[in-house]
Amino acid sequence: MVIAESPRFMRADGPDKVTGSGRYTADLTLTGMLTAKFLYAGVSHARITKLDVTAARHVPGVFAVLTQADVPDIRYGSVADRTLFSDGVIRFEGEVVAAVAAIDTKSAQAALDAIVFEYEELPVINDVEAALEPDTPLVHENWATYDADDDVSRQANVASFTSITRGDVDAALAGADRVISSRYVADASHAVPIEPRGVVAQWEGDRVTIWSSTQVPFQARDGVCEVLELPTNRVRIIVPHLGGGFGGKCGFHYEAHIAALARASRRPVRLVFSREEEFLAPDRRREGMIIEVTSGLNADGTIAGRRSRVLLDNGAYSSDAAFFPHMAAMHALGPYKIDHVHAEASSVYTNHQPSGSVRAPTAPQACWALESHTDELAKAIGMDPVAFRQLNAVDTGATGVTGQVYDEIGLQECIREAVAASAYGDELADDEAVGVAIGWWPTFPGASGAYIKVDSDGKGVIITGAQECGTGAVMTLPYLAAAELGMAPEDFELVYQDTSVGPYDVGATGSQTLLNNGRATVEAARQIAVQLKQLAAEKLEASPDDIVLNGGKAFVAGSPDSGVTIAELAAIAADGEMLLGRGSGAPPETPEAPNTVSCVGDQGMNGWAGPQFSCHAVRIRLDRDTGVVRVLEVNTAHDSGVIINQIGASGQVEGGVLMGIGQALTERTVYGADAKQMNAGLLEYKLQTMADAPPISIHFAEVYTPDMGPNGSKPIAEAPNVATAAAISNAIAKLVGKPVRLLPMTAERVWETLQEDGA
Amino acid sequence: MTLTIATSLDEVLTALAEGARPIAGGTDLVVGARQGKSPLPDSLVAIDRVAALSQIESADGHIRIGAGVPHRRLMSDTLIVERYTGLADAAALIGSPSTRNVGTIGGNVMNGSPAMDTGAPLLTLGAMVELRSVGNTRQVALSDLWTGPGRTSANPDELCVYIVIPQPPALSGSAYVRLEYRRAMEIAVVGAGASVVVAEDGTIVSGRVAMTSVAPTIVELAGASDAMAGLSLVEAAAVIGAMASDQAVPISDLRGSDRYRRHTIGVMAARALDAAARRAGGEQIGVPVNRSLGIGAAR
Repeated sequence: MVIAESPRFMRADGPDKVTGSGRYTADLTLTGMLTAKFLYAGVSHARITKLDVTAARHVPGVFAVLTQADVPDIRYGSVADRTLFSDGVIRFEGEVVAAVAAIDTKSAQAALDAIVFEYEELPVINDVEAALEPDTPLVHENWATYDADDDVSRQANVASFTSITRGDVDAALAGADRVISSRYVADASHAVPIEPRGVVAQWEGDRVTIWSSTQVPFQARDGVCEVLELPTNRVRIIVPHLGGGFGGKCGFHYEAHIAALARASRRPVRLVFSREEEFLAPDRRREGMIIEVTSGLNADGTIAGRRSRVLLDNGAYSSDAAFFPHMAAMHALGPYKIDHVHAEASSVYTNHQPSGSVRAPTAPQACWALESHTDELAKAIGMDPVAFRQLNAVDTGATGVTGQVYDEIGLQECIREAVAASAYGDELADDEAVGVAIGWWPTFPGASGAYIKVDSDGKGVIITGAQECGTGAVMTLPYLAAAELGMAPEDFELVYQDTSVGPYDVGATGSQTLLNNGRATVEAARQIAVQLKQLAAEKLEASPDDIVLNGGKAFVAGSPDSGVTIAELAAIAADGEMLLGRGSGAPPETPEAPNTVSCVGDQGMNGWAGPQFSCHAVRIRLDRDTGVVRVLEVNTAHDSGVIINQIGASGQVEGGVLMGIGQALTERTVYGADAKQMNAGLLEYKLQTMADAPPISIHFAEVYTPDMGPNGSKPIAEAPNVATAAAISNAIAKLVGKPVRLLPMTAERVWETLQEDGA
Repeated sequence: MTLTIATSLDEVLTALAEGARPIAGGTDLVVGARQGKSPLPDSLVAIDRVAALSQIESADGHIRIGAGVPHRRLMSDTLIVERYTGLADAAALIGSPSTRNVGTIGGNVMNGSPAMDTGAPLLTLGAMVELRSVGNTRQVALSDLWTGPGRTSANPDELCVYIVIPQPPALSGSAYVRLEYRRAMEIAVVGAGASVVVAEDGTIVSGRVAMTSVAPTIVELAGASDAMAGLSLVEAAAVIGAMASDQAVPISDLRGSDRYRRHTIGVMAARALDAAARRAGGEQIGVPVNRSLGIGAAR
């Protein structure tokens, strides 16, 4: 299907954002609005001995001061380990102890200063391996009593765990020709959306409207309803323009704090984070990770068996990270044909900021480790690393590590195309090299809904529950609707990001917007198409089955000149049965591995629905005297199914690669001995800049994927963030002579590796 | 807070005498205040509209750069690029295009940061600052100006009005290079400036080297000129690199360990000397050297 006649793609929100006319949460001002400020713990592990807000409540200009004593005593989260305010034990530095609403920032600060907050410090758990030692105290003393999903297994400080077992890995490794073990350690990092979050809450009677810079308005709504004990129809979340998220604004965060402040103060209240708060406080951070992989090789270069062990730094609370061990375990086994595998992954409580979804959670780190290990394997047997992947990677009809047999997929095409576009195998300067890595990422089918109405002038509105986080996914919906109705994308306006208006959608998370809401939008459009064809059939005295919708007109197939315009039909409908469509479409099923002999424990999935594949080839230059690496060129190839919006999809690849370069080389969160972040700011947390962006080539292996996204598509938003750091690692290893086993591979770490034996 | 927008030097000096602090681009002052380093002063005098501070004047035997000249001009001004090239290198590396448009040389020098980029090249070029207060003018050598991190010997009522740099001799050249992890919004992990005079055959006649981010202030490499005099460029670069690593007293922080800084300052010093000497010999190396020659792989 042709989505648009020309490749032109004008984002509906583009002009607002470019000209500055768009409104973000922090731009909102309501009459009588107060300013919110939080008292953060500022200490990583402690027991509160005194918390007295009496004096703070009497500070002039202060309308409300709240602590956990002032809200319902409810624990929430994927493991119910979280409370709105500290429950008496501080478990990380960014924990909210109290919240203040005051007439201005100065009064709010004066109130914070007047709070009596005393505590006794407890020993900090600053390291995942230390957290697992038998005599290490529990981060959550009573967590056996917390509610959690049945499949969450609880052991000591292990917040969640998964294992994947297939075949007999011990025998496979014992019988292998060569056995190679690697250990890699990744630092934590951050999503760093350019807009620090904001929340505004206003009550009218017993209903509250909350404007929030969230990626997941319905999850935010459900969080507010849970902790403030409200029905869903009394809480309305509206998201103004969102200034990026990258996963950092997934989850339920501060909407309830601000709603509670607004209720207590009987005024609208606004919270706007500083950059430092954005780093320190939210339950969102890319987890630190330790990845150990052992692989056995057969003499012919095939992989006999693989054992992987991953420890993830869960941080102090579980946020949405309970499924991370499964993701990490899959990435630590990889998209390879291996019959004997065993993987274990544990997300471990520490006194760090909680981990949570950041673009392709767990994948960049685990893929970096596994693909670096893969180059070690190829090197050990003297095989070209690309040929090694071509031999061992899955393709159509192959059986993967969990026993899943893949339908038509394009991984081998990705390897071929990315490598062909690169300088791999060319004569290069002696300080340059090309590294190659492959990656994968699952698709997350889910419920989602949309309405479409076409008004009397033939112009349409798509009312969707989907959330736009900057990817352009929501902006692509008019193209899908227009294609069904023979209209132009510009004929549609969007109403979105409002939980009381749009149907449910899980939000801008899991790369799923076009997948699920695209399907819903197409279904809604098809209902209107049926109505239009019926109306046209009556007007043209033909059968509805013979009516074609195209070019803004309805006509009998073969007679495009004798049709009736959609505007005319809309005018007829406006006086009778109106043009209203709704769609929510049954989500595609997640495949089970057929005849599976694997055991995917706990939170795992035997099969990945619509797996996306990628290969990145990266050419770098290494300054051997300093260890500084510069990325010169990135060649990418992605199997994300049929691409619906080439410009939007390419933008996702470019952004994912840039983020991957940052994770590879410069982005890291550094913890002090007190388990506090030492670089919670843009000066010392080194993002890549536009000046660092290399040329990026993009190939899409457009494998038609049935029963997944619209038009045979699969998602694209997270997949480009998976393999870049791994490819850079392999390029560095070629120049250094061995891999750098710490992520990010900072200049100093590269240089230190160069000083080691064997480099 | 009081903000006085001055249009003449006298207005500025009067305001300073009454306790105001000067603000030009605000790229250090405002950023520092927002980071909580130090609050904005109660009284500020804006000096960016004082015409006298934005001139670059060439006089007999020296150049006089107004303290309000922004980095953007330094990196592209023909005279600076041709004769004081190390300063242009440094200006071109500062912050981002917007930082360079509003940030000034006077602000950079008087901020007293041991990581300032313009400091090392100015030191090797023998620059002086001209400080003025109501009724008093004095010139101070940079080595006497910087007394510690963020500290200078200037009195609170003194304004840096000019940077005065003697005209370099014939067959001389200068350069500034720094170790950087990214190509914009970066602060020198370490950096080095060099200015040298070469003989017709390329042998080093004399030179000066200064180091960034390896001591409490920008510091000059002691004994550099004697050590390199008479050596070939290759020999001199090796000697100067070793001396720089030896004399550096770096700290460990988030940007790098003392061990790494001690090593890389040697690399940067040798590269700065190399670029300066090649320029002295007439080779055209574009500004900044970091981009032209690939310092830190950043070709």
